[in-house]
Amino acid sequence: MSSSGNPSSSSGGGGGPCGACKFLRRKCVAGCIFAPYFDSEQGAAHFAAVHKVFGASNVSKLLHHVPEHKRPDAVVSICFEAQARLRDPIYGCVSHIVSLQQQVVSLQTELSYLQAHLATLELPQPQPPQVPVSSSGSLQALSITDLPTISPSVYDLSSIFEPVMSSTWAMQQQPRPSDHLFGVPSSSNMGGGGELQALAREFIHGGQMPAQPSPGTSGSASSVIKRE
Amino acid sequence: MKESSRKQGAASPCAACKLLRRRCAQDCVFSPYFPADEPQKFANVHRVFGASNVNKMLQELPIHQRGDAVSSMVYEANARVRDPVYGCVGAISSLQQQIDVLQAQLALAQAEVVHLRVRQSTNFPGHGLCPDSPSSSGSPSSKQVSPQDNKGMFSHMDIVDEASLGESMWSC
Repeated sequence: MSSSGNPSSSSGGGGGPCGACKFLRRKCVAGCIFAPYFDSEQGAAHFAAVHKVFGASNVSKLLHHVPEHKRPDAVVSICFEAQARLRDPIYGCVSHIVSLQQQVVSLQTELSYLQAHLATLELPQPQPPQVPVSSSGSLQALSITDLPTISPSVYDLSSIFEPVMSSTWAMQQQPRPSDHLFGVPSSSNMGGGGELQALAREFIHGGQMPAQPSPGTSGSASSVIKRE
Repeated sequence: MKESSRKQGAASPCAACKLLRRRCAQDCVFSPYFPADEPQKFANVHRVFGASNVNKMLQELPIHQRGDAVSSMVYEANARVRDPVYGCVGAISSLQQQIDVLQAQLALAQAEVVHLRVRQSTNFPGHGLCPDSPSSSGSPSSKQVSPQDNKGMFSHMDIVDEASLGESMWSC
């Protein structure tokens, strides 16, 4: 039932093995499950990371269990996780998740503070323009068990990844404009492996949040990372 | 009771060696992190990463960092088992969307603060809602202490860095 798509061979004389079979030094058969996703040019390098972290047979079994129309997304996420694991053998993807989680908490704190400030600003006016909406930002201590549970749903990966055949798997770092009035830059720091590792280490050990914002503090509550 | 004792005294095999049906040596790489009473923990790691790959990855790490590496691998393996398509990337994508929503809300709230401050400053000379002149007797807001208009306006704003904020307001 599997439609045998021709492997996209970028080299001359189409008929060569895909990137995976080239890396594994084996014959690329017509129904090769890797061929549609790992071309012979850059696919071999991508597959090298996947093979080292997950193993070719494990990935093959995993892809066979995924519906065919979902396999491109599965391959992209597997390649991303393999690259992250090779880049950071201790924390892998978890460092990215912990860093993003901290950004969410920081933004929620800043938003709560600003909305409370809006409520006080609107008090003296006879006709307030709008009723401020209070947001519930959770500041409870987090541990690795509090990391977000992933429910199967439709994700938009375009904001994270470039196309699957791109040579770079690094996540796109989009700079966020911070509050120009307060002049405090938002704590969006996806670079710096050391800092990411420090975040992940503290998170995995179930430590408290690095900094608890005190009430009445003006500006954003940027979290200060403790150096152990 | 047939095979009660292994290579080491009365120790039972770890979850990894139990699943792989092999003898659990004293220097087993998995035994410190996969105890026998947590079989599913290793089962998922084995299914996603493969035992030999995990073995190699752990051997390449210093011993004091292996515990954290195992924890993150367990998390990633569980995520991949739960969601075979997106795995950990699903959590990353979800968090990034959450950040985008929060940043949009924050921008709106900040614009609202600026709007309210500008409106309050323009209301002072035109209307007598908040009189701040010291010569007026019997004013409703008798709490005013500073005689200057600028001070009077700023005293209504509960902010700490009022100088920079005032500068920003006038520059707009």
